[in-house]
This record gives sequence, C-alpha cells and structure tokens, in this order.
Amino acid sequence: MLYFVRRFAFFVATLWAAVTLNFLIPRLQPGDPAEAIVSRLAGRNEAIDPAQVRAVRIMLGAPDGSLLEQYVQYLGAVARGDFGVSYSYFPYSVTHMIGQTLLWTVILVGVTQVISFVVGTLLGTWAAYRRNSRVDSIITLGSTFLGTLPFFWLALLLIYVFAITLRWFPERGGYGGGSTPGWSWLFVSDAIQHSVLPATALLITGPIGWIIGMRNNMVQSLGEDHARLALARGLPRRRIALTYGARLAILPNVTGFAIALGGILGGTVLVESVFNYPGMGRLLLEAVSNRDFPLMQAIFLFTTIGVLVANFLADVLYGVLDPRVRRAEST
Amino acid sequence: MSTPVPAVRAPGADTEAVQVATRVLGRGTRLPGWFVILWRNGKCRLGLLMLAGFVLVAIFAPVIGRYDPRDDDFDTSAGPSAAHWLGTTALGEDVFAQLVFGARTSLVVGIAAGLLCTVIGLVVGLTAGYLGGWLDEVLSFFINLGLVVPALPLMVTLAAYSPVRGLTLIILVISVTGWAYGARIKRSQIITLRTRDYITAARFAGDRTARIIAHEIVPNMTSLIVVGFMGAALGAIGGEAGLAFLGLGDPQTVSWGTMLNQASLGGALLSGQWAWLIAPGAALALLITSFTLINFGIDALSNPHLRED
Amino acid sequence: MNLFQPEPRGAHTPRPTLRSDEPQGEVEKGSMALLEVENLSVTYAPRDAPVTRAVQDVSFRIREGEFVGLLGESGCGKSTLGNGILRLLSPPARISGGRVVLDGVDLTGADEERLRGLRWTNLSTVFQSSMNSLNPVLRIEAQFAETFAAHRVGEEVGARVVELLRMVSLDPGVLRAYPHELSGGMRQRVALALALALRPRLVLLDEPTTGLDVVVQRNILDRLATLRHELGFAVLFISHDLGTVLEMADRVMVMYAGEIVEDRPAPDLVREAQHPYTRGLLGSYADPRSAEVRVSYIPGRPPDLSVEQPGCRFTPRCPYAEDACGQRRPELRPDDGGLVRCLVAQDGRLPRTPAGAGPGLPVFVGFPAAAGLDRSADPPPEQAVGDPVLLVDDVTKRYTTRRGLRTTSVDAVRGVSLALRPGRVTALVGQSGSGKTTIARLVTGVERPTSGQVRFTAADSTTEVRVDRLRGRALRDYRRHVQMIFQDPFSALNPTRTVGYALSRPLVNYHGLRGPAVRERAAELLESVGLAPAGQFLDKLPHQLSGGQRQRVVTARALAPEPEILIADEPVSMLDVSIRAEILELLGKLVRTRRLAMLYITHDLLSARLLADEVLVLNHGDLVEQGPTLEVVGAARDDYTRLLLDSIPNPFSAARRPG
Repeated sequence: MLYFVRRFAFFVATLWAAVTLNFLIPRLQPGDPAEAIVSRLAGRNEAIDPAQVRAVRIMLGAPDGSLLEQYVQYLGAVARGDFGVSYSYFPYSVTHMIGQTLLWTVILVGVTQVISFVVGTLLGTWAAYRRNSRVDSIITLGSTFLGTLPFFWLALLLIYVFAITLRWFPERGGYGGGSTPGWSWLFVSDAIQHSVLPATALLITGPIGWIIGMRNNMVQSLGEDHARLALARGLPRRRIALTYGARLAILPNVTGFAIALGGILGGTVLVESVFNYPGMGRLLLEAVSNRDFPLMQAIFLFTTIGVLVANFLADVLYGVLDPRVRRAEST
Repeated sequence: MSTPVPAVRAPGADTEAVQVATRVLGRGTRLPGWFVILWRNGKCRLGLLMLAGFVLVAIFAPVIGRYDPRDDDFDTSAGPSAAHWLGTTALGEDVFAQLVFGARTSLVVGIAAGLLCTVIGLVVGLTAGYLGGWLDEVLSFFINLGLVVPALPLMVTLAAYSPVRGLTLIILVISVTGWAYGARIKRSQIITLRTRDYITAARFAGDRTARIIAHEIVPNMTSLIVVGFMGAALGAIGGEAGLAFLGLGDPQTVSWGTMLNQASLGGALLSGQWAWLIAPGAALALLITSFTLINFGIDALSNPHLRED
Repeated sequence: MNLFQPEPRGAHTPRPTLRSDEPQGEVEKGSMALLEVENLSVTYAPRDAPVTRAVQDVSFRIREGEFVGLLGESGCGKSTLGNGILRLLSPPARISGGRVVLDGVDLTGADEERLRGLRWTNLSTVFQSSMNSLNPVLRIEAQFAETFAAHRVGEEVGARVVELLRMVSLDPGVLRAYPHELSGGMRQRVALALALALRPRLVLLDEPTTGLDVVVQRNILDRLATLRHELGFAVLFISHDLGTVLEMADRVMVMYAGEIVEDRPAPDLVREAQHPYTRGLLGSYADPRSAEVRVSYIPGRPPDLSVEQPGCRFTPRCPYAEDACGQRRPELRPDDGGLVRCLVAQDGRLPRTPAGAGPGLPVFVGFPAAAGLDRSADPPPEQAVGDPVLLVDDVTKRYTTRRGLRTTSVDAVRGVSLALRPGRVTALVGQSGSGKTTIARLVTGVERPTSGQVRFTAADSTTEVRVDRLRGRALRDYRRHVQMIFQDPFSALNPTRTVGYALSRPLVNYHGLRGPAVRERAAELLESVGLAPAGQFLDKLPHQLSGGQRQRVVTARALAPEPEILIADEPVSMLDVSIRAEILELLGKLVRTRRLAMLYITHDLLSARLLADEVLVLNHGDLVEQGPTLEVVGAARDDYTRLLLDSIPNPFSAARRPG
C-alpha cells in the first residue's frame, strides 16, 4: 500500500511542479513579460499598444499585482481548465483549439504506438529466444541500423518516394481539400489514405526501442539463476522463455509503454510537421511561429500532464505486475 | 569454520571490474585504458574511425567545403555539377559547403551539450547519491521530474520564448532537457559505491568527503561517465537537428537540420534535388551510426551479460 | 550467461559407440553406478582472456543412495564441475571432453528433449543462492505446479506439495508467498522441497547452506540427513566447508585446481588423508572445545589455470614436493581404500600423521606456542593485562523505523558493557542480527548509543574521550586511534588505487608525512604484515593480489595511524579455509607485539577460540555470556552459547574422537 501512496504523492508533486514550470517559463525573460511578449508580437521598433499589453497580462494570469497573486490566479484558472483565448485563432479559446486537434493525434500516434509496442516486444522476445542465431542478428542489426536514421529525414524520403514519385499516397495533410470532416465513409477513408505515410514513418522507427529493450532484458533474465534452475527442473524451453524470460523482461517495458502513450502528444511534433498533419504537434508549431503564447503554454501543459498521468498509471501497473516493488520500495 | 564465501558480487562490482581492466590495459601505453579496450572491439574501432573522420571534416571545413556556405551568388536550385557537387539550394548556396560546415555545428552541439549534461548529471547525481538524506529527496525529485517532462515540447517552448536563438541557447535548452537520465544512473551507481568498505576505510584514513569523492569514487565511475557523455552527445545532436528542422534552430548557423528544413521548404522534393535531400540526412545518420558503433564497445564493456558471446 | 545460446559446434563429440539413444548405452544400466563421470573437462574460453581449463579429466562414480561430498576452495572448479554434470554450462564455458552418464544415459550426448525428460526426475539440484534461484514473480505454489506439469505428474499434486513442505519443516502457508517474502533459510528449504518433488535418484547440492546462519544451517543439514535416509536418494554435495562435508558425506572427493586430488570414505579421510593438500585443509580445522587447539595453514595460492602445468599442480605449496613433482603429472590412483593424486603418497613416502590433535606436519603448523595462539600451551600472562583503553558502559542502541503511520522500534543492542585492554583480544560472537556490528559502529563513533556511554582513554594520556558525543573534527581525530579491518578484502581496497596509495593516506593525514618518507613508511608497514619485499607490492593494484595478501594490506593500512584499538569485523570469514589461520596468526602477533586492543567480531567460535582472550556472546542484542575464552567455549553456561557450539559442523566429532 505504501508503494501506491508514495507513487501518488510523487504524481501530485510533479503535477504541481509542471504547472509551476509552465507559470515560470514566460516569466523567465528579463523585464515585464507582458511587454516583452507584446513587443515581440508587434515587431521590434513599434510602439506598444497598452490594450495589447493588458490582453497579454490576462493570459499570463493576473492583470497586475505581485508574482504571488499572479501565481494564485493562474493556479485557479488551470484548475478550471481555463487557458484563455488563442491569439492566432481569435476568438476561439485555447481549449477549443486543442480539442480540434487532439483526436487526430491520439488516433494516429495511439494506434502506431500500440502496434509498435506489440511488434517490438514480440521481435525482441524472438531475438532473445534465438539468441546469437541469424534471426537475432537480423533483428538486432536491422533495428540498430533503422534506429540511426533521423526520423524526419526518413519521413521526407517516404514522401519523396511514395507521394511525389510514385503518387501512391497523398503528400501532406490529414484529409483532402474536397472532403468535410465528419464520420462519413468518404471522409474516414480519405483520412486513412492520408495517414498511411505518417503511420509508416512512425512504425519504422517505433518498435526499435522496444525490440532492443526487450531483447537485452530478456537475455539478462535468462542468464539469472532462476532461469538456469528452471532448465535444470526440466521445464520446456518455451515455458522458460515466457515465464522466466519474457515475463520479467517485459516489466520495465510496460512502464515505458505507459509513459510512451502519455508522451503521444509530445512525440508527434516532428511527424506532424513533416506531413502537415492536423494534430496537436502541428498546432504547437503553429502557435510557436504565430507567437500564440496562450496556446503554446496550454499545449505544453497538456502534454506534460499526459505524461505525468501515464507515469503514475505505469507505476501502479508495475506495482501490480511485480510483487517485489510493493514490498521493497525505493524511489 | 563454516562461513560465507563471496558468492555473488554485488551489482556495481561490474563497473569496478571495468575500471580495473581499463587500468591494466592502459599501463604501458600513453592512451587511457578505456580507449584501449574500445579500440580492441572491431565495431567500436570502426565507429571511432568514422567519428575521427567527422572531426577532421569539421576542423578543415573551409578547405574541404571550397565555398562559404552562406554565399548565395550561384544558380538557384541547381542539380549536382562539377562546380557544385551536390547542387545548390533554392537561395543559390552550395549544398556541399553547407554539408561540410554542418558537421561543425553537429559536433559542437554534441560535445558542448554532452559535456554540460554530463557535468550537471555528475554534480546532481554525486550530491544526491553521496550525501543522501533530505538533499537526496529533493534532488531525486528534480531528477524524476526531468525524466518525465517531455523533452521536445519543452525544448520547443523554451526556444520559442527566447528572444535570440543563438547556438549557445540551443545548447543550453538541450542540456536543460537532457541531464536527468545521466544524473539518475550516476546517483544509483554512487549509492552502490558509497557502501563499499574502501569508502569507510578512506574515512578512517582521515580523508575528507571531497577527496573521497574525487579520488575513491569518481575513478570507479569513469566508464559510466564516458557512456553518459556519449548518450547525451547523441541526444544533443539529434535534438539540435530536430529543432533546426522545425525551424527553431539558430538561423545564423548552417546545420544539417536547417538544410533539411530548407530542402523541405525550398521544394527539393518537387524539383527532384535528391542530393540536397539525401546528403544532410545521410551525414546525420552516419554520425549517429558512429556513436552507436562506439556504444557497442562500451555496452560490451559494462554489461557482462551482453559481453559473453 | 545464457541458456538459450546454442552450444558451440564441435564443443563435444559424442563417442560413436556410446550414443545414448542406442542400445549400447542401456547395457551399462546393470552396473552399480548411478552417475558416472568419465574424463570430464570443462574450459572457459572468453573472448578477450586466455583459455582456462577449469575442470580437467575428472572421473568418478556415485552409487545409488550414496552421499558424496565434493570439497574444494574457491576457484578450484567444483561448481563448474557441478554445472557440467547438470549440463547447465553457458558460454564461454563448455564441456571440452569426457562424458557424464546418469543411469546408463550419456547426458553429454543426449539431445534436448531426452535431457529434459531426465532432468529433475533423475537429477535435481539446489543452488547456493535461493534468493535468485526462484522466480521472483511467481508464487511458490506456481513453481511447484509448473515442475509437476513439466513432467506430466497430474494426480494428487496438492497433497504431494504439502507433504514435501512438511518434509522440510515448512508450513503450507508459504505456498501463497512470493520468494522475496520468505527468509533465506525458508527459501532454501523451499528449494530443497522443490528438488525432492519428483523423487529424484540423485540430488546435486551446490553450497546449499553457505551464507546462512549456523543454527539455520544446522537445521537444514539435519533435515537433509533424515530425508536422505528416508527417501534413499544419492547426493553430490559441493562445498568449501570441510566440516559440513565430512560430517554429511559417506565419501569425500577433494578438488584442487580443476582436478580431483583425493577420493576416500569420509572416516578414512579424517583419520589419514593421503594428499598433502587434504592434510593441509584438515589441519585448518579443530574442535574449539578441545583442550588443545592447533590449526595450520597452506602458504601460497592456487596456480593460474590458463597456464599449462607440467607436473603436480600443488607442487609450489606442497611441503613434501620433490623434484619429480614439478615435472610429472601424477595420476589419480587407488591407494589404501581410496584414490590419491600424489607421487610421494603413491610411493608410500608420505609421513604418517598421528590422528588426533593436528596434522602433525611440521612445515604446516601455523602457530607454534611462541606465537601465543596455542591457547592451551600458553595462557596469557596476567601481567600483560593493563588498564582498559575503551569502555562500553551499559549501552543500548534503539532503531526506530516509521512505516506509514506506525512506528516500530528495535533494540539492536541492549545494556551491553565491555572493556578493551592493550595487548588483549576481545571476541564478540553472535549470528547475523545479533548486534555485533552495531557495537562496532558505536565503538568507532559511526553511530551514537541511545543510552549508555562509550569512553576512550589514550595510552599516553589520562583524559577520557566521550566517543558517544564526538562529532566533526573531534571524531576524525578519534579515528586515528581506532582503526578497522574489514570482512571482505575485495571491497576494502579501492580497485583503481594502488597499494601504495591506500597506505599513503593515513600517513599523510595523521602523521603529516610527505614525499619519499611516505613511501618508505608504507614499505615498512607492508613488511610488518609479512609482505616482503615491499617494493614488489607498493605499485600493485588490489586485483593483482590474492585474498590473503589483500587482507594483509588492509591490516597494514589499519596499522598506519598507529592506533590503540583495532576493530576486526570477521576478517577471515571470506578467505579460503587454508589461509585463514595465516591471517589469524598475523593478527595475534600484532596485538601482542604492538600492545593493541582488539575487538574481534565473528560468528565463528573456532577463530574466537584461537585468537581471543575473552569472549562475549550476543543474542538478539543481549549479552548472554561473557568470560575468558577457555571458560566460555569449554564450559558454556548459557543455552544459546551451547546451541552455537553444537551447530558447528564437526568433522572430528564422530570419526576422530576414538583416535
């Protein structure tokens, strides 16, 4: 029980720290943050419109007042889920804009993450089971090689070959200009068409970490005394591989997977940028290039909270899966 | 007399064994021992040679590149030719010169951010691990926080807020987001080493804490520090390329990330300038490969389970 | 290490005539031997180190129901041999020759499925560390269940498991537990029950009780002896612990440097060992309760097995070595009811040893009376007893742990008083958790007592230092007077620092020596602990030294500040038996010649008997008995002390007493 309490305490503390970090980052700049932001919005040498400054101040949490007052107000706004109004998509609220893009990202990255994890774990298990065989070399060397290719470059090459040269798939975007978003067959099939290349890019690089992690963990756990004793006990090799190798080796990967799911929102910046995919990653980049600070702040906070929640769930899951940690808890 | 005999060495003994091996091998040569061990591993040697190649290219970039990478006096979007081996950009710059100078950026970022991450990680990890107590609780919290906060969005956000986006800032941003992993590993390593009897013995020999850390603990961590540096440098090189590709890099610096960004924006895909598209990515991939190959040697050193085949 | 690594091709070429699956193999079934090991060799061929022949040409047989001990010191290849028999070697180790025949079936040539069928039903095992030999994420019952399932034993499994647990005196409740929820002793019982699950005909026990407390060890060994008589399985018992092996086994094989050097029924071995190495090992044992206690040691260290040894491998350490020994490799030949691998013994030229008090080998005798360790012959002269330098006065140490909202407190030490005097050794005896290490921490000022006082008076002063109140700089000054010798010589020296560096630190810090004076003084220290010529050792790294040499360096470092008090925390328990007496002799000599006060912490009553003037017995933080060594050991008044004494495996009790 103590284990779960401690993990929850860590979750609450990191959540607070993340929210505070989000509050502090815009204030780290020298001078009045609001004026700095407005001057950057307007361009260097122009006069600053007081109304603009005021709008920015509202975004920052408190119109005037001390840092502490601003902080309290900011915490209240975050608790209400109120992140203000987007500059670049005025008059839409930040929450609305995030809601628009969230589903795109979650579906694309969520599906590819799950597939990557399953495929990666299976390949890693296979490689460890057939350690030092040809299968093992092909899997490990192949994934190591793919792992050295820069992701965005791989994505560009995919576009170059399959969209521009071969014209098999649409080049960019989440759906074609002709279709309107909705749950019609036409739109869904169009969206799937558009998602093939980004998904492929994610699936080429996605499983690598799981493969290597799974293989190395499993090779290690199969070298432990309990696996040797299982062999001496005459257990079938396959059973040893599963209950003495994979069962133990997957534990760290399960934690990693939960965190990866939480990191979906953060991990898509590159892929959405290359494919111009209408998800949260691209929204973050647009917010950055439009200097839409409220939107940017909110996306960063959302992303972080996603990871923290996932991290907490992973800890809980780990506690359920591994009887040892419930007892001997160490941070 | 029936008594325990050392049966299973505690975890952490492995890194000490590595240090011993490195010291032994290092004797008689002027090279450090860890280098000798790495050099003896075939994959690792290839990686070291590749890395040396990149370093040479970076040092002699002005000679090898032939042109100023920022010189846009040439034809725009030209294909490869004798004058421009890899063609020119949409602005009329020489792609090959940019490629060669890009090696500088990647290596500088990798080394600087790698060093910075290693130093931060070492200081935080050593302090938390050796002193323990409430200080450890606090520092561990920050380490864990640094581990869970998503790196790329944080980098993007930090980069977006900074008024001037120079290379120094990029290095700082990467280090701020990348130090935690190394700190965690060093902390747990130190917690193992701290309980060694030779640490107690040093205290009984009258040595002070600073000396114990510097002379008794750190020498047993050198391979871990090298591994940490390699990992951090690799992450930094990837991070810089990613940021630059997103258009958040230093606009004054030529880097492989910015090249790809411009290739993507400048229509390299549509105009069929494959050389402009392939070259920076391939260079980046080769540099990452060299690090990966070196890591093979380091892994084999520090993980006996992976070594024994 | 990996099981799933395919065995290297050509690792073993089964002899065509003895293929296990052919009828020829079955012919041997009629013979007496259950297990036959023929010329088995195992080599380690790591990628970046020379090839080591860990086991060379080992042949032996085990009959149905026989209990055979395999005795050897660390690195002699006994566990490698065990793993070779079990076919559990993983690269870089491999069987490089010979075969293992179990009940007529050649295990070395058997294919995987055949081997799997034989495993556990015919040959089961218990590893040394049951912490790691059970799957941490499976409940105990699941580990029994999968064992039965793997061999298609279906009926009445539940009742069988309960019966098995009863056999090893465990409650069926442990079935619901995970391995980490059990104590070390309980886990080892589970491992033993598991090993007996399928009624195997041969059980291979590899150091099954090493690392457990003596009393727990005693229980498990007694259980094992009873079960073996009830169930009739044969045992190969691998251990470094001569006492246990001689007590348990019908027949004992002694292994040295990868070879079996002697093979003899246990009583004969005790009475008249034929190999000089065996004699040396026996000489390092004695019954601490005997009126006269003499132990010996074998100087030197085992040979490097990656270098070809032309002659007998024991030659460099052997007191009887002749010229021929260094050139001709002796065979293991029948001799006087056993087998021995020694040219001198085979020629009958080895001196006969008197049964009884000691090995009777003059070269081997470690403690002549003059060294002051032969207690019976040389009681400590009363005038040597001076005023105490350190007084521990009614000290209690309470540890409070908070778990959630509940706080629990444990008294590690309760109301203990003791005095340390110059030139005298006070032994603190107890099992793990008895509080003896806590006392060491209190004496050295690492911890402060909850109540009571620790007072120190330097020899040349009259002012008393309250150790329990020291902090900061004063504590550092105090430690100049109190130095430690550690249990594990491998952990006590920094692997990256030379011997010279380790010795220089106290000299620089406490004596302010600089430059060449440091090296000079360090050399003197090394020579004073018997490492001469010192120049040879100063620039060595710890891994280049043997365990005994490291412990000498640790001792030299402890002497460097010229302390008044030495705390020796199990200083010999991690050393090989054959050299323990050597270190004890050194410590005894230093205490007496330098008039040091020593607190000797141990769980081992024999070493306490050899070294100490006074013995204190601790049980769960309480001092249960205290007095002059001979009184405490010879005529224990307390039940707990007697339990400790009775738990010591005693090779001489049964076999030797008559002689």
